[in-house]
Amino acid sequence: MTIDEVLAHIRAGLNLEAETEHELLEEIRTHLEEAVEEAHNRGLDEEAALTQAAVRFGVAEAAQELQATHIGWGTLEGVAAAALPVLFALVLRWTVFAPDGTATGWQELLSRPTLWAVAAIALLAPLLRFPRRRYALISWAVFWGLSVLIITSHAVSW
Amino acid sequence: MITNTRGTAQQGKGAARRIDQMRKGTTTLAVLKLLADSGEPMHGYQIIQELESRSQGHFRFKEGLIYPRLHQMEKEGLLKSHWEGEPGTRRRKVYTITDKGRRQLEAEMRQWETFSQGMSALLGFEQAGP
Repeated sequence: MTIDEVLAHIRAGLNLEAETEHELLEEIRTHLEEAVEEAHNRGLDEEAALTQAAVRFGVAEAAQELQATHIGWGTLEGVAAAALPVLFALVLRWTVFAPDGTATGWQELLSRPTLWAVAAIALLAPLLRFPRRRYALISWAVFWGLSVLIITSHAVSW
Repeated sequence: MITNTRGTAQQGKGAARRIDQMRKGTTTLAVLKLLADSGEPMHGYQIIQELESRSQGHFRFKEGLIYPRLHQMEKEGLLKSHWEGEPGTRRRKVYTITDKGRRQLEAEMRQWETFSQGMSALLGFEQAGP
């Protein structure tokens, strides 16, 4: 048995974002290395030291608790981050587009500072607020792509 | 005889569960106190070793369970963490107590003191005052 194999067992019990899993496993690797080193210094051979470290760590229990601790964050943050572009879409709808619901001209839109201000805030807010910024970026990209498509296609009501 | 053995085993499991619940309930307080006393960043393994040492072995549990607790405390703003060590060397994620953590520690210590005094009085452990 190796530390990598112990980490693989823990990883098998996790179903989190790759970045989160990587950080968790790196922290656990350090722990196991310390524990093995200490057991080794007490006279245990490499195999016995690692076995003892793995047993004392509680691979299955730790994986279960870590999963439970971290799973909720991503979901909530993802929803919160994805909600931002929706909110800003509504703001754009009220502040940029014409009250009658038609898309204004592309040139006119570009000249409106409100559009740029809202766009900049919408783009930067998720970056500052949420570790899971990719949700916000993807949502923002989808929203923005759709907006541009609609704006550039003439005589389309938004 | 079989019934007695089973009864003893169940009592043992019940006691272990109660101790586990007590430990879970006090881990936050123990970690906050340790980090506040230490005044220096500590990594997970170090925290476990210190908890076990300071509690004279009573605070012993599956070591991996300290990490979900630390991460939860960090999420609650009681702790903050950063990585120490250069890439390529052994890197350690270390934790320090935050101002919010210190306030929580003070509050929990007061609660603990009141609770333990009450329980001691109830169980007849309270020593006579001067």
